[in-house]
Amino acid sequence: MNNYLPLSIISLGILAFATLMLVIAPGIEMARPEPPAGLQPYTVEEQRGRDAYVSMGCLYCHSQQPRAPEQAPDGERGWGRPSVSADYFYDSPHQLGTMRTGPDLLNVGARLPSESWHLTHLYQPRAIFEWSIMPAYPFLFEVKAEAEEGDVVVALPPEFAPAEGVVVASQEALDLTAYLLSLDRTYPAPQDGIRDDGYRPRGDAE
Amino acid sequence: MTADRRPEQDPRHPDEHFEPYELDASIPWPLLGISIALGVWGAATLFDTRRHEERAQVERVEDTQLATGQAVEPGHALFEASCATCHQPDGLGIRGAVPPLAGSPFVRNGPELVANIMLRGIDGPIRVNDSLYDGHMPSFASVFTDVEVAELASYVTSRWGESNRALEAAEVAELRGRVADLGSFRGGAGVAEDTGFALDEQPTFASGTSQPVSPEISALIFEGRGGQWSCASCHGDLGQGRENTPRLAGLPTDYIVKQLGDFAAGRRINESMAVVVAELSNEEKRALGVYYAGLRVPSNARPDLGGDLERGEQLAREGDWSLTVPSCFSCHGPSGFGVATEFPPLAAQHAPYTASQLAAWAGGQRTNSSLDLMEHISSALSAADRRAVADYLASLPPVPAGSGDMLAEQGEGQ
Ligand code: HEC
Ligand code: HEC
Ligand code: HEC
Ligand code: HEC
Repeated sequence: MNNYLPLSIISLGILAFATLMLVIAPGIEMARPEPPAGLQPYTVEEQRGRDAYVSMGCLYCHSQQPRAPEQAPDGERGWGRPSVSADYFYDSPHQLGTMRTGPDLLNVGARLPSESWHLTHLYQPRAIFEWSIMPAYPFLFEVKAEAEEGDVVVALPPEFAPAEGVVVASQEALDLTAYLLSLDRTYPAPQDGIRDDGYRPRGDAE
Repeated sequence: MTADRRPEQDPRHPDEHFEPYELDASIPWPLLGISIALGVWGAATLFDTRRHEERAQVERVEDTQLATGQAVEPGHALFEASCATCHQPDGLGIRGAVPPLAGSPFVRNGPELVANIMLRGIDGPIRVNDSLYDGHMPSFASVFTDVEVAELASYVTSRWGESNRALEAAEVAELRGRVADLGSFRGGAGVAEDTGFALDEQPTFASGTSQPVSPEISALIFEGRGGQWSCASCHGDLGQGRENTPRLAGLPTDYIVKQLGDFAAGRRINESMAVVVAELSNEEKRALGVYYAGLRVPSNARPDLGGDLERGEQLAREGDWSLTVPSCFSCHGPSGFGVATEFPPLAAQHAPYTASQLAAWAGGQRTNSSLDLMEHISSALSAADRRAVADYLASLPPVPAGSGDMLAEQGEGQ
């Protein structure tokens, strides 16, 4: 072990090659100066909700990248068409995720457009899905004796409602819900969008 | 790393200072050969899939052109695809359900009236020659371009009417602008009244559409109650639905009531719907059914599952006997507009919802129908077939139709 020079040159070379192929080239390929027509930038409220989503690590259980029909039946699950790079134009940091402990969320605002549903679900997922393993987020809510002017009261089945008073959503819960409702990439994918075409080459006989 | 640096060693003692070393040895040639071969194979695969991606891109463009009707043949082919499902290829209609085009006074009045009917649709009773019909002619305004409407109207009137006039696309554009906000014709009487054409005596239109709802039911639909979310928060303010939340507008009352009862009793499984219906009384279920059955809403469904539309059309219209699947229209009615209360309409239903229901039957999760007809059909279809037929059904116009500006007000126009 004494020829350090060639060793380091070769390893740096390998690293540089990998960076070129895996980071720089795809970066160039996917750099899109234009957001797609159907995509709006996040509002201030949605962006705050997005920050909450990032900080609470929803990413560890939820992906945001519906796959091609050749790979998974995501379309039939209502999770939306395969995403293209331009769908993430305003997403920084992106929340692609790899774990699918829960459903993909890139189009959850389209299939579940109900604010009150999301508030119930965040307060206690088991109020809807008995079998759910998603954590409850009760700290995003407040139990009050009575709702005040402007409070958003969470709809809860009797078994899950507090013995007394009402559950009211905090601003953070409302922000997070606004972000979830903004997740809607159901506009047609841009024709030149780069996407995952699955493993089966299209055009081959079925 | 050469042999002369090898440390001196006393063979009698185990060596405590031994350092591992390596003699010069070249990589064995089979290994080298394999690595090079792997490298070449990898590069070739990359090159190969590059071509597939390009081809996929080209095909996608072609697919969307087909789906949006840009590349379809005029006149006859359009009629076969969009009108013959109800009016039959020979234009004779279906007795008691769909009026004939052949010999019809409406068609005899020339292509402009036919174009008008295609754009607006008809809702309510109509007399064609000596027979009364009380069905729904869909509105094709969102489906066809001006050129296509012109071609079709000219084709229909030249084949079954007495006019040989070819309607111009510009005339259709002008007509489209004029009728855009008018909604469907109110029966044959409405056609006669709105267009001033001479038509035989037409039955009067009794508004059975927008049922007045009581404040309690309206609160259920738009505000929710207690532990229940409002119906509109998921199914949309017009009952139009989205993705795998179904369109409810125009489903038969009895079908809706039965499904709500099944959700409540756990015969049909959906966790969110189970919460929603838990506290509904039977009267409320019926009132909700009446409300949604009476809604007329244009389609916001799109074929968005990437299914093969031609295959979907074949399954819907002819079935596939090699799979022992009868045509969907044989039960669900021409063009999927629904028959009685047992066979719900499928036209304009969202593709992800339709496909998810077919998958649920195939997988044994939806078992609430006493007729037990969909299980076999769904399991016989492959996943690609299910997507194909769901996409085709989503591309059909809804029956009954609604007026074009309703969805635009919801920010969902296309
Ligand atoms: C431990 C894993 C886990 C974490 C962390 C998690 N979830 Fe979930 N999530 C699930 C599971 C499992 C489901 C499916 C069952 C259910 O709906 O409760 C789900 C369902 C959902 C759904 C409903 C999706 C649908 O289509 O039905 C939403 C919305 C959601 N999660 C949002 C969130 C948000 C926002 C966060 C972060 C604050 C989060 N989840 C964190 C596991 C998780
Ligand atoms: C979903 C089935 C359906 C489809 C598809 C359909 N129609 Fe109709 N059509 C009807 C029904 C039902 C009526 C009678 C309306 C009523 O009872 O209120 C009708 C009435 C008509 C009439 C007036 C009555 C008559 O018989 O002359 C014309 C003209 C007409 N359709 C043309 C067309 C054309 C052109 C197309 C293709 C673009 C088409 N229809 C597609 C169901 C359909
Ligand atoms: C949380 C969202 C949500 C709410 C709120 C909701 N629904 Fe649903 N509904 C759904 C979903 C999702 C389905 C599809 C279930 C399935 O996949 O089997 C559905 C299915 C249905 C069906 C069956 C439709 C069919 O074609 O078979 C009916 C009927 C229905 N809902 C009526 C209602 C009524 C009435 C209300 C209000 C009292 C309501 N829903 C509230 C989400 C909702
Ligand atoms: C032999 C008659 C028959 C045929 C053929 C048939 N269906 Fe059905 N279908 C039914 C019945 C009956 C129901 C109602 C089930 C219930 O009440 O739960 C139904 C319900 C459905 C539903 C659920 C609608 C809703 O709103 O939830 C879908 C989707 C559907 N069928 C799709 C299809 C497709 C696609 C085909 C063609 C491949 C097809 N059907 C062919 C009898 C049939």
